[in-house]
Amino acid sequence: MISKEVQKILPLVQKPGRYTGGELNSVVKDKTKVDLRYAFCFPDSYEIGMSHLGIKILYSLANARDDVWCERVFAPWHDMEAEMRKRNIPLFALESGDALTEFDMIGFTLQYELSYTNVLNMLDLAGIPVRSSDREGLTPIIVGGGPCVCNPEPMADFFDLFMLGDGEEVTNEVMDLLIRCKKEGTTKGEFLKRAAQIGGVYVPSLYDIAYNADGTVKSVVAKENAPERVTKRIISDLDSVHYPDKFVVPFVEVVHDRVVHEILRGCIRGCRFCQAGFIYRPIREKSAHTINEQCKRLCESTGYDEISLSSLSTSDYTHLEELMGKLLEWTEDYKVNIALPSLRVDNFSEQLMEHLKKVRRSGLTFAPEAGTQRLRDAINKNVTEEEMLRTARNAFSGGWSSVKLYFMLGLPTETYDDVAGIAELAQKVVGEFYTNPDRPKGKGVQVNISVASFVPKPFTPFQWAAQDTIDELINKQNHLLSSVKTKKISVSYHKVNISFLEGVFARGDRKLCNVVEYAWRHGCKFDSWDDSFLFDVWMQAFVECGVDPLFYTSRKREYTEILPWDHLDYGIRKQFLIDENEKALEAATTPHCRIKCAGCGTNRLNGGKCDALCQNMV
Amino acid sequence: MRCVRIWFKKMGMSRYVSHLDLMRAMTRAIRRAKVPLWYTEGYNPHPYMTFSLPLSLGMESLCESMDIRIEGESTNEEIFDMLKGSMPPGIEIISVDEPVYDQKYICYGEFDVFFDCDKKAESVKALIEDMLAQDELIVQKLGKKGRHKVLKDINLIEFIKSYSVSAMGERVKLTITLPAGSTTNVNPSLLADEIVRNAGDISYTIVRKKLMTENMEIFR
Repeated sequence: MISKEVQKILPLVQKPGRYTGGELNSVVKDKTKVDLRYAFCFPDSYEIGMSHLGIKILYSLANARDDVWCERVFAPWHDMEAEMRKRNIPLFALESGDALTEFDMIGFTLQYELSYTNVLNMLDLAGIPVRSSDREGLTPIIVGGGPCVCNPEPMADFFDLFMLGDGEEVTNEVMDLLIRCKKEGTTKGEFLKRAAQIGGVYVPSLYDIAYNADGTVKSVVAKENAPERVTKRIISDLDSVHYPDKFVVPFVEVVHDRVVHEILRGCIRGCRFCQAGFIYRPIREKSAHTINEQCKRLCESTGYDEISLSSLSTSDYTHLEELMGKLLEWTEDYKVNIALPSLRVDNFSEQLMEHLKKVRRSGLTFAPEAGTQRLRDAINKNVTEEEMLRTARNAFSGGWSSVKLYFMLGLPTETYDDVAGIAELAQKVVGEFYTNPDRPKGKGVQVNISVASFVPKPFTPFQWAAQDTIDELINKQNHLLSSVKTKKISVSYHKVNISFLEGVFARGDRKLCNVVEYAWRHGCKFDSWDDSFLFDVWMQAFVECGVDPLFYTSRKREYTEILPWDHLDYGIRKQFLIDENEKALEAATTPHCRIKCAGCGTNRLNGGKCDALCQNMV
Repeated sequence: MRCVRIWFKKMGMSRYVSHLDLMRAMTRAIRRAKVPLWYTEGYNPHPYMTFSLPLSLGMESLCESMDIRIEGESTNEEIFDMLKGSMPPGIEIISVDEPVYDQKYICYGEFDVFFDCDKKAESVKALIEDMLAQDELIVQKLGKKGRHKVLKDINLIEFIKSYSVSAMGERVKLTITLPAGSTTNVNPSLLADEIVRNAGDISYTIVRKKLMTENMEIFR
């Protein structure tokens, strides 16, 4: 229950339902009967955090244990934070209303770089020192996970430990150890030393980093018996791993307010720009039977009327037809809509579209990513123009009249012709509509182009590449706008300043910790929100800390350079990434994993097994 | 297909659930309960569901109602049993009945306003009595002028149908009947805010107790 003090300020803030807790299926336990209290924090607003699948899985997993009570914490919005600070109300968890200082373990999921300042702000709002070295007691231990911990160096000074890879098993192991250490009364130092022996646990304070005169990493030395390289964890069998049978159902409308089901982990495609496509390897599929049963239970316990089948590339799921068949047996009667995000244009079958038409119709979105075949080959998107137009044709025949297309600007080797190619491709899609005799009658066509700015990320073939400068990206955006000749095509794009900062932190090192702290102390938070983003303060932070941001973004790295994340092992062979990068420069493609194993190396994490390979052998 | 009126309380933390959020929460509750809902027969089938007068965010209520259309032969008692265990926390089903009045006949609402006054309950009680004994108590109300929203001055006294004030320990309770409904609606928080402005550092909560028709019959 939230405190009287908090209840007094609720009438003063927007959407108070974000701070009350008490949602359906939230878990309340007796705090005197558990050995460990875990505060799971999402460093963004309630609406964003409650949409995230990872938090639902790990919340349910931790609460399935009798000796642990896991609660949720989100970043209070600006108005709430101001009221809390005015009255000295510490940041609290939603289930108990207790301050974070009462917890043994505080975990943050780092989903995107621009949430880093919110981590510091949330710790501070709880009255907890932001730097690991300033926290002397064993508890609370501050832990981190999520995709950004594949290079957590810009946050290394603030966290006590990071968990690399799939969290289901390692979370339990870390909690077990912390319970043991609490009972034994060990020091924080001793706990961290032992934690570093758990597979997938990276304790940044046990690694000394030395730098060359030019600012690049000279060496990384492990201390106290910590492993020289930390290897990420993977869950081998998705059918038997814990999956929630209940989701907390928020009252307030959140971004993704529905049943989400993860049908496979990893991706067979190997698009060279895509970090997720590499760091979640190897490919592991869940069986159609398990997914169907779990979806049914979730619909019954939540009352949701939509299921989203989520993965990096949903149409690559081998048993999709079978799964759709099973789901449609009950979802039609139960009036449940099935959403299939992340479909690919090259295998979006007519049969699949027939399935989709039986449920409520949503928008169609495809991601060609680049405007010309040459550039699509360079990034290994492996989609042809003909495939895209055929898909558009099918969609128009099926009754759709608007299509959304995702592209990126600033990809390696991109020219202005490639940029103009985006507009030309969209124009051809428009043309496809009007030459289609089966098009929806009496309707115009709308093609919405959404362009993001490319940010090179660790563990991708482009991890050595230079990122386009802010000026260059603005020029390309303007070139695209001037290439669009019709109102049937609309263009939306991201703020380039935000992508620039994302680029700094994605491939950053520990020298950036001071920058993050400076920016936060001078008012930066909610950086991924356009309205809250204070670019000038960030630039001032770089100057004050003596750090050149262009060192991280605009510099092309040599293959021989020690990268700040080289002591973290995500299973991918470095030589594989080098080969892929070389092929990109020649615009040569690599077939996807089911056609031919490209030898990325990640299957060694799974005892040599990879679901893409199995398919090949059958 | 027939229409049933579901009566429920909205107390505690659920008072911070807005009207729109409540509609979604109730739709899900009914789905979980597997009540045989009737769906519209159009291109995009959806259940039929209407609420009585929306409740302001932050207010509690003992008299909320919602009309739904159902299929099949289920009795009101059966519907009640299905729904009972499926409500989200803070929402409690009272009964399931046949609708008697159309929602447009709601004219008045009776509210309890509780002021938390610490040590000064007696003086707050006296202050409220003095304020309400005047001929005029002007407050600003957000009204419409054509398409635009404008602040209008209104005399609250003119709208008060009846009231009583009592002090209970550190709390003062004001029970008040005000116009409520689609034609004239006066939110008791207008008066409560005015009292807080005059009394200083106190806080309040409001409970809607009943809705009434023009003849002061209970809305059923």
